[in-house]
Amino acid sequence: MNLKTLRDYGRVIFYAAEMALRSNLTDSFVLFGILVQPIIIALLAFWMLGDRGGEYIIFVVIGSGMTGLWTSCLFISGNSITQERWTGTLELMVSTPTPVSVIVIGKILSNVLQSLASMVLSYTLAIVIFGYVPTINQPVLFTISLLLTILSYACFGLLISPVFVLNPDVQRLQNGLEFPVYVLCGFMFPIALLPGWTTPLSYILSPYWAARALHATSSQWNGLGEVALSWAAMVALSLIYLMLSSLLFKRLLRRARLDATLNIQ
Amino acid sequence: MKKFILNLRLFWEGALLSYIALFHWLRPAQYLATMIWGPLASMLFFVFLGTYATGSDSASFYVIGNALQTIALSGIFGVTMSIGGDRWSGTLPYLFGAPANRFMMFTGRALMHLLNGVLGAIIGLTWGVLLFGLDLGRANPLALTLIILVATFSTSGMGLLMGCLSLITRNVMFVNNTVFFLLLVFSGANIELSRMPAWGQAISQVLPLTRSIASARRVIAGGSLSSVVPLLLVEFMIGMSYLLAGYLLFRWFEFQAKRRDTLEAM
Repeated sequence: MNLKTLRDYGRVIFYAAEMALRSNLTDSFVLFGILVQPIIIALLAFWMLGDRGGEYIIFVVIGSGMTGLWTSCLFISGNSITQERWTGTLELMVSTPTPVSVIVIGKILSNVLQSLASMVLSYTLAIVIFGYVPTINQPVLFTISLLLTILSYACFGLLISPVFVLNPDVQRLQNGLEFPVYVLCGFMFPIALLPGWTTPLSYILSPYWAARALHATSSQWNGLGEVALSWAAMVALSLIYLMLSSLLFKRLLRRARLDATLNIQ
Repeated sequence: MKKFILNLRLFWEGALLSYIALFHWLRPAQYLATMIWGPLASMLFFVFLGTYATGSDSASFYVIGNALQTIALSGIFGVTMSIGGDRWSGTLPYLFGAPANRFMMFTGRALMHLLNGVLGAIIGLTWGVLLFGLDLGRANPLALTLIILVATFSTSGMGLLMGCLSLITRNVMFVNNTVFFLLLVFSGANIELSRMPAWGQAISQVLPLTRSIASARRVIAGGSLSSVVPLLLVEFMIGMSYLLAGYLLFRWFEFQAKRRDTLEAM
């Protein structure tokens, strides 16, 4: 791959992201998932965890933001290819010279970045309604954790979007996948509360490590070792997701060219 | 008498066909994911969050609240989609063109979801018993059944009102989702009402579920049916108010849609 190709791909990613952003801003379901639902969950958690003291406010801000990120990843990023099928543009997208995965990367990056609005809104809610200004213990490490979180969510989105297209049966379970990840990833409470057999499931989900890194750097500082472990896990899992995603995209294209079943719902 | 039987038939067939139409695209796995797995996962989340906040002794508080909250899935989403489905599938003009009794046609849309809601609450309470050791030993079964029925009625009343919105807006799922999540907060399913600010308590008083959740907690703790009857009566009246408001809106939207020729406008 030469520099020109890279530059071309960058341009495609940028415009795909821009189009996804414009389209999402008019989609009430997206706005609900990114803005309304995390705020309601934050409000609920503020009242429920209020007695635990001010330090839990930032825990709730981060946790509710993570719920918004996952909801967006599941329903918006997860549907980023299916959406093209619904609008009849999937065949056109598959037949362009640009790899489908490059277009999907742009869409998913845009989705993840706009989902961060849920964290900002929860932060604002803490100030406006509860009169508390949450502070972040380790701002630099938190920023690095946030960047890795964006990367890991994007890779997770890249994994689930072809899965949903290739296996409509999995997509039919989409509604039932939202809360289990909230639970398994410890967004709002430690996974130590869960039965021990669920812990390996948490470990293979990058949102768990993202939540762990963000909570640790914002309010539950236990030393650099824990944060470094979370970062390493996020990077390793993201690479695995990318490899699996690459295989799935190849299968998707193969199916498009050989079976001609792309538009079958 | 003939008219009565005709209306009854209209009510029953409307109920059955709208339910079949709503779920015709579903496969068993999707139905199970929506009706059993989804509510269970939601219950687990709020029970763990609640017990993290207040200690493991309070698990039953959250289990009961979220088991009853399951009713809102059928009452709000199911009923709304049954009414809105006529618009999306292009059958609304035929519906409004028929000389059928509008009240029967309108309320029939909620019947199957009432039953679904009852089933949802029973499944929710069963999960509570199996996973969190919820003790139903002191509960009066008759009182608990009555509470679930009143809760399904009141949430379906709200669902009928929301369903009317689906006749005039494309964003009804946004409204539905928001209402469902607001119920999670303000119905007392997850927070003691006394812990909310005055404005939050005021909102909770006009919502369905608030009183049925409080009643269920009281009855499961050993309270008698007579101790919750006043609460259930108010909850029933709230449901009836939503239902009547929904029906009036339904007629008004029909009138407006015919006058402006916007029945199929999206």
